[in-house]
Amino acid sequence: MEAAVWVIILPLLTAFFLGISKLYFKKILFPLVTGSAIIYLYLLISVSTNSYPPKVYSVGGWGLLGINLMVDPFAAMFLLIIAILFLPVILFSLKYIKIDKHDYFILTYLMIGGIAGMVLTADLFNLYVFLEVTSLSSCALVAIKKTDKAIEGAFKYLIMSTLGSFFILLATILTYHLAGTLNMAEIALEFKELPFKLKSILMALFVFGYALKIGLIPLHAWLPDAYEDSPIPYNVLSSGLVMKAAVYALIRVLYIIFGIDFLSESGMLAIGVFWGVITFIIAHLLAFQQTNLNRLLAYSSIAQIAYITIGLFVGTDGGLIGGSFHILNHAIMKGTLFLVIGIFYYSLSAINIKDIKGLGYQFPIISFTFVVASLSIVGLPPFNGFITKWLIIEAALEAGFGYAAFFILVGTFLSLTYYLKVIVTLYTKTEKKIVIKDPGLSLRLPTIFLGSLCIVFGIVPSLPLSLINKIPQFLLDHSEYIRILLGG
Amino acid sequence: MVIPYVVVIILFSLGIYTVISKKNLIKMVIGFTIVESSLILLLILIGYKPSGTAPILDRQYEIVVDPIPQALALTTIIIGGSVTAVMLALVIKIYKRYGTLNVDELRKLRG
Repeated sequence: MEAAVWVIILPLLTAFFLGISKLYFKKILFPLVTGSAIIYLYLLISVSTNSYPPKVYSVGGWGLLGINLMVDPFAAMFLLIIAILFLPVILFSLKYIKIDKHDYFILTYLMIGGIAGMVLTADLFNLYVFLEVTSLSSCALVAIKKTDKAIEGAFKYLIMSTLGSFFILLATILTYHLAGTLNMAEIALEFKELPFKLKSILMALFVFGYALKIGLIPLHAWLPDAYEDSPIPYNVLSSGLVMKAAVYALIRVLYIIFGIDFLSESGMLAIGVFWGVITFIIAHLLAFQQTNLNRLLAYSSIAQIAYITIGLFVGTDGGLIGGSFHILNHAIMKGTLFLVIGIFYYSLSAINIKDIKGLGYQFPIISFTFVVASLSIVGLPPFNGFITKWLIIEAALEAGFGYAAFFILVGTFLSLTYYLKVIVTLYTKTEKKIVIKDPGLSLRLPTIFLGSLCIVFGIVPSLPLSLINKIPQFLLDHSEYIRILLGG
Repeated sequence: MVIPYVVVIILFSLGIYTVISKKNLIKMVIGFTIVESSLILLLILIGYKPSGTAPILDRQYEIVVDPIPQALALTTIIIGGSVTAVMLALVIKIYKRYGTLNVDELRKLRG
């Protein structure tokens, strides 16, 4: 019963104790951070393995009047992603972050708490509150290095994300006005009788607000700037969790509150797929021109999230499975890539493509991990990226979005060009003598762990698929979700 | 009862217009606070009932206003306050570095 509540409380509590330890005992940072991360790992796994059949937790015992948390397979999958990414990133940043260590960890834990809240909640206003917790701490993390680029990136990010939040808040308030409740299940029941036009306006507000947070083109301008000079372990969490949490929230709102029938009737599904196609093609083209590795990976993130959007907006079982699986895979692949860049930056402050020339011979294992992850993100077999792209293409073809399937193949070639450019530079021999700082085991191990997951999930996709296969049952047809949430 | 809603709409569009069109960073932040205030006003309006009293569950008060929007409004105020604080902190940092708050001049300085 309490486990799901603790998933939200534990990171917030840790952030609070870290604040105290910053003032009085600076020494206990390491045991506090690692200890809490390990307990959190256990909690996440125990909650997400207990997700079938879905369970409802009523916070404070208020029943339908209060806030309810719901653990269904979609939420469980997201908790699993947090479980996979969080401990490696924390171990990585313990060594990587040198300045403002306490502030960094406080904000990271706050951010994770916000994400966990967004994932679990079944209350519309609570969703908005956790969304704001996440994006505020995320903005502060972008600015934590206090360099010119970091502060400008953070300001842009904050402006765009606040603008998005206002539209989401407006939509939430209007929803409350029309439905008279904030519980998602009750709203969904009320919305069945609402006129078509009103629902369309509300949906447009929600979609616009979340699209700003997700960074779909043309609303993406803040995203590469925010990635450019932020701490690299944060980038892993940002592309793996923060952007995905916005996608998650959008999908939850659309599928649960509005329902699949309304989505296909109003043409939202077709719009979503079309928007995704436009987004990833432009993002791939822009990524090709980048010289800064962080910016390159940022544009690649936009493109990959567009794939996820396509998968989730196809509106069939296969699409939902492919899209959700791609959320997991992209978190792992992009996490590996960012951590490798982090090691290069730590060892010889290399952040541009030309700086990493010849490093393939200096870091043989790490560079091989980079190659694995980038081939995986391009979508070559036998890595995990191939599996999900295949699933998404298959689903798009089945649902009659042939052009989306075709352009995903085109996009694969586009992404191959720029990842190949990086790999070739990595393995070009140079005469120049390179002096490197040894990254040590605590930076290498998390990277290699995530990189090996790319291969494991590519060879045995049934491992996560056994959980993911249950997602459409509670998402595509919202009546089951509503029944469980209402306690029937 | 229509006029308050018109005021909300005017405030909301005014705020969004300020955010989009103004070149001064402080004025942009003010735009955000205007939008936020309009949303708080909307929350209060939704919960309002004519001649309603405070939401106390007692027999002598028959018409009470809806208490939930009030709680939501409080939360929104807190969130808005923290967002404004973080924004102003970043604006201060930018001003200390470049000595200007104008977006166009900032772009020029960055080249």
